[in-house]
Amino acid sequence: MLLADFGTSYCKLLDTEKSTEPKIIAAREIPRDFRVDIGTGHNAKRRSRQTLNELTALAKGGLQLIAEPDFVLLDCGSRDIKFIHFKDGEMKDMGWNTECGASMGFTIELLATYYHIDYAQVPLPESGFSVTCGVLGLSCIFDAVAAGSSELEAAGKFVRGIARNAWRFAGSPDKLYLSGGLCDNPLFTACFPCELISLGRFVLLEGLLSSVDSKAMP
Amino acid sequence: MSKQVGIVGVPPLEIICQLNEEQAQIIDLDEPLLPLPIDQTDRYLPKVYCAILRTVLLNALNLHLDQIYVDTGPGKCDCALHVATVLQYHLNIPVIAVRNLDTKDLGYPISRSSLPLINKIQDITQGVKSCQPSPAYPPCQPSAGFWGVPPRDFSILSLFPDTTHVYGWTRCVENKTPADLELEAHCNPAVPTVFFAQSFCAKTALAKHLAEQHPKALWVDCDVSAGSSAKAKIEAFLELSGVTSGRSDRAPS
Repeated sequence: MLLADFGTSYCKLLDTEKSTEPKIIAAREIPRDFRVDIGTGHNAKRRSRQTLNELTALAKGGLQLIAEPDFVLLDCGSRDIKFIHFKDGEMKDMGWNTECGASMGFTIELLATYYHIDYAQVPLPESGFSVTCGVLGLSCIFDAVAAGSSELEAAGKFVRGIARNAWRFAGSPDKLYLSGGLCDNPLFTACFPCELISLGRFVLLEGLLSSVDSKAMP
Repeated sequence: MSKQVGIVGVPPLEIICQLNEEQAQIIDLDEPLLPLPIDQTDRYLPKVYCAILRTVLLNALNLHLDQIYVDTGPGKCDCALHVATVLQYHLNIPVIAVRNLDTKDLGYPISRSSLPLINKIQDITQGVKSCQPSPAYPPCQPSAGFWGVPPRDFSILSLFPDTTHVYGWTRCVENKTPADLELEAHCNPAVPTVFFAQSFCAKTALAKHLAEQHPKALWVDCDVSAGSSAKAKIEAFLELSGVTSGRSDRAPS
């Protein structure tokens, strides 16, 4: 069975019959007629025979990977941020921000490409920009560079602002599980003012997998 | 030819009865009636304003009406009061501000029925044109709750199971008592409930407040149309609360 998390920038793909290791494919490289059995993510509807809601996939993936009754799991993608909060094993709160959290991950990647930034080399900033939207946040970088900051320094403050905004969006927890491509960004993960546990990019795939395992397909 | 009368909110029952007797055609201006861009109202109202009242203005400016009744009392909102002023200025027909303080309960069987939620809300909103109570549907055992006003975009309603009970202002409307704040604040703590209000509506405060008191609640607001984010939140909330909805292309969860 072919499962996919069709993110805005990257598709995470798992063929349950051939491999236990998911693949990552850039969304722009997926053939137009490519279809999977079960999909989740922004581009799932047109590419999947069945779909699972992204928040549901996130929740189910979290329940598979986190052996605690109480947890907050935040997924930071290219285009949006979403979180799920479980208490005593039951869903307590959730959120999905496609507007004010818009394009944060995508903008971080764009910046790295344009300014040739390796985020592992960016010093952890002591303060950050007040950023609620990736696109609007770019202005902060341009203004800082125009005022004499280095591009590295400005990008660092931008990333810190995004991380703090995402943390507040998730309810400012003391301990946070993180999902999504930004788990691989050492600057981003270092900017959270709480205990952070990165679960990687395949949490939603894990949620899809648990849906397949938990019930027979109709 | 019958008189064309627009209504905003729910005018007092006495007025609806009188219009029914006159066989006037009652047009609910709260509903999207015309395939026109809502931006046409930008000349008259701020863009950041209740989408229902922007729709009222769009309808009123483009329909051929003989008169309009606007509920400007506690059964509607202060925004309607000010929109009535705007309508009075721009239209050459009588725009009559009224205050619905009706207290006679006519019941809310549709709200508790097993009709699909879209049909429930459609029937309730159609009911504002009649002074008769709703037909006597038998109540069903609820599995979910929808609290709030009839949304401008009905597409979110398709996410709910038929066994969803309706609460909030919509239930008050069916009961013909839109200003009954006690009934409006009533909800069922035993069923997962979505608390909905239009963005920029004063009722967002009540929706958020009640959602915080409710043990299993999600509060959602939508503007002109419901975005994928709002729909996905409702869908996930219902799924994760163990409520089954009607979509057939979903994977088992």
